[in-house]
Amino acid sequence: MATKTNKNSNEQSRPRDLLTPQQMREMLTQLYLARYFDVRLIKEKKRGRLRGTLYSSHNQEAILVGSLFGLKGTDWISPIHRDMPAFFLKDMNAGWRNPDRIGMTIEEVCAQVWGKAGSPGRARDNWSHIGSKSKRIIHSTSMLAGTIPAAAGVVYADRLDGGDAVVLTFNGEGSTAQGIFHEAINFAAVHKLPVITIIENNQWAYGTPTHLEYSLEDFARRADGYGIPGLIADGQDVLDVYDKVMMAVEHARAGNGPSIVECKTFRAYGHGDHDDDRAAKYRPKDEVEEGRSRDPIAVMKRQLVALGHMTKEEAEQHLAENKGAGEVTDIDFPEEVVAYLNEGVQYAIKSPLPEAEEGGMWVFKEVE
Amino acid sequence: MASLIDGAAGTKKNYLTAIKEAIAEEMARNPHMIAMGEDIGILGGAFGVTDGLQARFGPERVIDMPISEGAIVGTACGMALNGKTVMVEMQFIDFISCGFDQIVNMTATYHYRTAGEVNIPMVIRGPAGGYGGGALYHSQMNEAWFANSPGLKIVCPSTPSDAKGLMISALRDPNPVLFYEIKELYRKREIEEELNAGDDAIVPLGKARIAREGADVTLVTYGQNVWHCLEAADNLAKEGYSAEVIDIRTLVPLDEETIIASLQKTNRLVVVNEAPMTCGFAGEILARMTTKAFRYLDAPPARVTRLDTPVPWVKPLELHVLPSVEKITETALQTIRF
Repeated sequence: MATKTNKNSNEQSRPRDLLTPQQMREMLTQLYLARYFDVRLIKEKKRGRLRGTLYSSHNQEAILVGSLFGLKGTDWISPIHRDMPAFFLKDMNAGWRNPDRIGMTIEEVCAQVWGKAGSPGRARDNWSHIGSKSKRIIHSTSMLAGTIPAAAGVVYADRLDGGDAVVLTFNGEGSTAQGIFHEAINFAAVHKLPVITIIENNQWAYGTPTHLEYSLEDFARRADGYGIPGLIADGQDVLDVYDKVMMAVEHARAGNGPSIVECKTFRAYGHGDHDDDRAAKYRPKDEVEEGRSRDPIAVMKRQLVALGHMTKEEAEQHLAENKGAGEVTDIDFPEEVVAYLNEGVQYAIKSPLPEAEEGGMWVFKEVE
Repeated sequence: MASLIDGAAGTKKNYLTAIKEAIAEEMARNPHMIAMGEDIGILGGAFGVTDGLQARFGPERVIDMPISEGAIVGTACGMALNGKTVMVEMQFIDFISCGFDQIVNMTATYHYRTAGEVNIPMVIRGPAGGYGGGALYHSQMNEAWFANSPGLKIVCPSTPSDAKGLMISALRDPNPVLFYEIKELYRKREIEEELNAGDDAIVPLGKARIAREGADVTLVTYGQNVWHCLEAADNLAKEGYSAEVIDIRTLVPLDEETIIASLQKTNRLVVVNEAPMTCGFAGEILARMTTKAFRYLDAPPARVTRLDTPVPWVKPLELHVLPSVEKITETALQTIRF
C-alpha cells in the first residue's frame, strides 16, 4: 500500500519529473504513431487492401504509450485486441528501427494484420493474437483476462531464474468480470509477483455499459480485496498514466507485488469497425461527444507547451487531434510517423500468404 | 521420505508409489521442473502422491496453490512459456473442468498458434475413475473432452511400471500431457510390481501393451478396465475362447498398428472404457477400426462403456452404470458367436 500512503510525497516527486523534454516530445510522437496506425488501417480497409475486423485504440493511445514508455526491454507485456500498437511500441525507446529492440517491428505487426506469412505467428490466428517469446510479449486468445495467469507464471519463472522483469497486462473493464481475472490476481498477490494489471476502463464492454458490469464507482478499489495497491490514472493524460504505471512498476520491482492501475478513458468508436454504425445508436450522443472531448494528443500538446518543451507553432504543425479517421490526412501527422507505417504496409502487402499445408502443422512439437 | 520414495531393491511397489518415484526422480534430474496444485506441499497431496516433495525441493518449486484450477493451469502455462517444465496436480480429475479454458484454448493451442515458436511442457495429472463410491464429482473419466481438443496428449496407465514409465515420458515430452491416474489402483496390493529407476523405467507414449495374448476376440481398453478385461478373459477361457487384451496406455497418440495387427488374428473387436458412451473414446477406436480394419472383421465391433449418465454414489447404482466383468464377458461372447 506504499503508493497510497506516500501520495503527498509522490505529488512532489513524480516519475515524470525525471523525463527530459526530448523524451516528452517522443511520447507525443508515439501518440501520433499509435493514432496513425489506427486511421491508416481504416483507410487501407476502405481502399479494399485489407480484410478482417479492426479494433480501434482511438482515444486510448495515452494508456499504451504512457504505460510502455518506462519499461525495460526485458519486461514482459500481455496486450489484447484494443492494444495493437503495443506490439511495436514495446521497447520503442531503444530506437524505432533498432534490430535489437525487444519489441515487434512495424513490418511484423502489419504482416499480421494483413494475414501474411511475415507475421510472427504466420497468420494462424487473427488480429492481436500474436506474441513473441524472444520479444517478451504474451500471445493472447479471445478469452478475455485469460492471459493474466500466464503473465503471473512468466514472472514467477523469471524470478526463480534471478530476473527482475515485471509484466504489464492490458485489459478492458469488461474482462474484469471473468473468474480468471480474480484467480490470477489473487495468485499474483499471494506470491507478490510483479504483475501490473492495467484496466482500460473505456466505459463500454462491446454493447454493455459499466453500470451493468460492476457495482463500484472506481474499479481500482477492487485491489483492496487482494491487499494490493489500486491506482487511478486519467487515461487521456499520457503523463498521468506514465506516473501511475511507473509507481506500480517500482513497487513491483522492489519485490512488493502486484498493482491494479485503472485508466479512465472512453471508447471512441464501436467495439470493432463492424460495430461502428450500431455503436452510434446504442450509445447516447452526448456521452460519446463528452468521451471524445479530451483527445490524448491535444492533452499532451497543451502540457508540452505549458512546460515550455514545445512552442505553440510546433504544436500546431500537425493537427490529428479531435478528428475522426475519415477526417485526418497524412499531413496531420509527423513525416517520420507516416514513413514508418509505409514501411510496415509495403512489407505486409508484399509478404506472401502462408502455404495451405501449414494449416495442418504444429499441433504437437516433435519429440527429440 | 527418501526411504519411502526410493525403497529397497527387489521390493514390489504400488501404482501410487510408482508415480511418486517418477515425479521425484524427474524433479531431481530437471532443475527447471516445478510442481503445483492444491494441498500438494504441506499436506503432500490429498492422496499422498507428492508426499515429501516440498521438503525435498522447497516451496518455490513445489507450490501449494489456492483453489483456482484456472489459475493453476494458466500460471503453469506461463511458467512453461518462460522455460519451465510444470507438473500440475488436479486434486481430482473431475475438477479439471474449472480450468477448461486454460487447458483447451490457452495451453493446447500454444504451439499451433505460434507456428512452433512456443511449446508448453506441462503434465496435468490427477486421480480419476469410478468404482469407488466417489459419486458424481469424484469418479469421472472426462478424457474425451480433451481428446477432442487438438494439441493435448492423453495417458492412462493401468500398472505400476507403466505409471512410472509413462509419467517419466510425459514429464520429458515437449507438449502438454493429460495424465489420468486410476485412484482405485493407487494402493491395490494385487498389482504391485518391482520398478526400474530413471531411464530404464521409461515407457514411450504411443505404444500399446498386449496385456494378454489370445486368438478369438480382441478386447481394447485402458485404465482399470484393463483388469476387468483380464478377468473377462478368464471367464471366456472357461467357455473355450481365448481373448487378447490390449492396453492402449495412451489415447493420444493412439497405437493403431497394435490393434490392427491383433484384429488380423482375432477378427473380432470389443472396446471397453468407463467414460459415457456418446462421443467417448471407445467410439473413436470403433470408428477408426471400422474404417482401417474392416476387411479383418467377422462381426460388428462392439463397445462396453458407462451408460450415458453421471456416476451415481451408492454401490448398486454405480455398478449399474459402469462396465463390469459380466457385461464385458457377455458382449465378447455375443461378438464371438455372431
